[in-house]
Amino acid sequence: MATSTASDKISIYKVVGSKIWGFFGSLKLTLFILFTLAIVSVIGTIIQQNQPPEFYITGYGNWGSFVLRLGLEDMYHAGWFTAFLIFLILNIIVCTIDRFPPKWKATLESRADVDIRFIKNLLNNHTVVLEEEPALVKERLLKILHKRRYKIKEANNTESMSMYAWKGVTGRFGSDITHVSLLLILLGAILGSVLGFKDFGTFYEGEGATISVANFQFGVDKSWYGIPLPKIDRQRIASDIQLRLDKFWIDYYDTGQIKQYNSILTLSEGGKEVIKERHIWVNAPLNYKGLTFYQSSYGLAYNRVKQAEFFLRDAKTKKTIVPPFQINWNVPYDIPGTDYRITVVGFVSDFAFDPNTKTIYPKSAEHNNPAIQVEIYKNGKPLSRPWLFYNYVDLFAAIPDSNYELIFQTYKGIVYTGLNINKDPGTNVVWAGAALMVIGFFMAFFIFHKRIWVNVKRNDRKTEVYIGGMINKNKFVFERELSEIAESLKASASKGVK
Amino acid sequence: MKVIMSLLFFDMAFWFYLATMILYFGYWVLKKEWLGQASTVLAIISTFAISMMLISRTMEAGHAPFSNLYESMTFFVWIISIAYLYMEFRYKIKVVGAFVMLIAFAAMLATSNLPYRYQDIQPLNPALQSIWFELHVFSAFIGYAGFGLAFGMAVIYLIKARFEERKISHFLIDRLPSSAMLDELSYKSVAWGFVFFTLGALILGAVWANKAWGTYWSWDPKETWSLITWFVYAAYLHARVTRGWRGKKAAYVAIFGFLSTVFLYWGVSFVLPGLHAYA
Repeated sequence: MATSTASDKISIYKVVGSKIWGFFGSLKLTLFILFTLAIVSVIGTIIQQNQPPEFYITGYGNWGSFVLRLGLEDMYHAGWFTAFLIFLILNIIVCTIDRFPPKWKATLESRADVDIRFIKNLLNNHTVVLEEEPALVKERLLKILHKRRYKIKEANNTESMSMYAWKGVTGRFGSDITHVSLLLILLGAILGSVLGFKDFGTFYEGEGATISVANFQFGVDKSWYGIPLPKIDRQRIASDIQLRLDKFWIDYYDTGQIKQYNSILTLSEGGKEVIKERHIWVNAPLNYKGLTFYQSSYGLAYNRVKQAEFFLRDAKTKKTIVPPFQINWNVPYDIPGTDYRITVVGFVSDFAFDPNTKTIYPKSAEHNNPAIQVEIYKNGKPLSRPWLFYNYVDLFAAIPDSNYELIFQTYKGIVYTGLNINKDPGTNVVWAGAALMVIGFFMAFFIFHKRIWVNVKRNDRKTEVYIGGMINKNKFVFERELSEIAESLKASASKGVK
Repeated sequence: MKVIMSLLFFDMAFWFYLATMILYFGYWVLKKEWLGQASTVLAIISTFAISMMLISRTMEAGHAPFSNLYESMTFFVWIISIAYLYMEFRYKIKVVGAFVMLIAFAAMLATSNLPYRYQDIQPLNPALQSIWFELHVFSAFIGYAGFGLAFGMAVIYLIKARFEERKISHFLIDRLPSSAMLDELSYKSVAWGFVFFTLGALILGAVWANKAWGTYWSWDPKETWSLITWFVYAAYLHARVTRGWRGKKAAYVAIFGFLSTVFLYWGVSFVLPGLHAYA
């Protein structure tokens, strides 16, 4: 009794196991997954991705919470979307394991010893009747097939001669290579998402900053039913790599459109310069030790300027008294012919005043309402610290106890460059997979497995040649090739007779 | 910038394509040998005219002619013409030309109705200045053309298969190639299209994106739609080896795939915002 239940159990496992295996090995599952992925991917292009939750609540009304619950706001990273990809991976693996070995065997096997019935059962077959001796016919046939680059295996028996000719076996394995390449690409993507990181930094001209990188700690996580699962902790730590922006500039076309954004970068590691003044632009990033620096954006500093230009005029007549002069940030300047000395000490790109805290702050990083703060000294004594406006020159322009007005004419901002700093150790795996995929495609679609069987038989002073063949795809071209072979066999025979 | 020659050649090609389409239809209906020969000659002349348009455009702009819809549509017409001429020469199937030239002329008509600003030459923005841009578009458009041809074949296949099934004879339908041949040609077009689409749209696009934006895949609407299209054609290729999915169902998938391609090409640019806003 005990033994029979044990074997029953085993057979139940076997049945269930083979059911599951069969489920993952079916082409219907492939079609289902492909169509489902296609359809659900559309949703992610209609619903805007990666917006804050409020966006969906206010924008989609009652549907907002539904969107958030299903993870549709970051759909391509949602658990159920990943589950579909995992199903696809399992489907590919099981299909390959199921189909590859019998295919491999079948292509290695090449029966040359075939009878007439076998050939006549093939979809494409021809019968050619000739006068010559079988040996001569065979020789010519071999020549024709060799010319068409067929490999040939011969078989001889008592009443007839037969042969098997084939080419393009590799075409059979194109689909397997393609499937493996897809797995490789997905592996690269996983590597990148686990071990890579994406960062963004702004760098002012002439200034350096330390690059932070991701640090990984591998451990074991037992929080899920006590089952030990691999755990990866990611932290951002400062590296000993320093980046300095030497220069940023924009190239323009004659029409005024932007041609290119350029940065010159210098990298140092451990205080030593390792890359000196490298020119990068959009489409030409800088690579260093797996880190890549991409030109991404640019802008003007919102809280500082490089240089500002002023002039002094008479408060009543508005006549210029001291012509325009440029002064640098935080460098005191004696206005010629006067007792005044001024220093540029503050700047905001978009002036705003908070009445509660009585502080001045930039409303945005846009240069909508630039204002500059200057310290004015008279004979070495501090006099005032007015804010002067680029858009409203008259405002607060008067210097106290004098007939002068200090006019803020223009300024040169400090440019910064915005760089994407990425690390993705999976990229090369993805490229390897992509290359393999192209190879697999060419094999699968453009190399055809052609197989031809021939039986030559002497029958009543005539030689009968039976030619038949098979191809895995591209039927019509093969049909024509086979009749061409039959025709050329006839044609060269008639030449031979003459 | 001067854009005289290319506009002139475009207008010329427009009328040539209209005439070519009419001749192919005439050949289909009247089955006169001289009409067939005349259609082929005119198809070659049309292709020559569109080639001249592309060459003059390249010379005027100083870069490959696929930086906007006006240029890339013309390029699409060029590729589909060459692919068709090759197919006609190889498989001797002239009647199908009526449908292919209908697609080509429809593309010319759509292009000529684009807003006027598209005809102007725009200098390349920073992201477009890359050899990967040229390779990416070139290869992706071979893919589009392949899918376009497959679409045409699948439509004729469905008509032809319906008549064959019901054993109804009509002289116009009888002149079409057999449904088996149409199925094969549709498959071949998808095969060519799929290889170059994968290489161009997905792989070379990813290489370029990695250079310019720092990531090979970012689920931008254009990227996602090219993946959707890829899924549909991958399904087509698997459907053809599955019993019960051959023939009609596969033909519907090929049609569906081309609709997805058209949306990928036109729809995404106009409807969905994203990184590909310029194309």
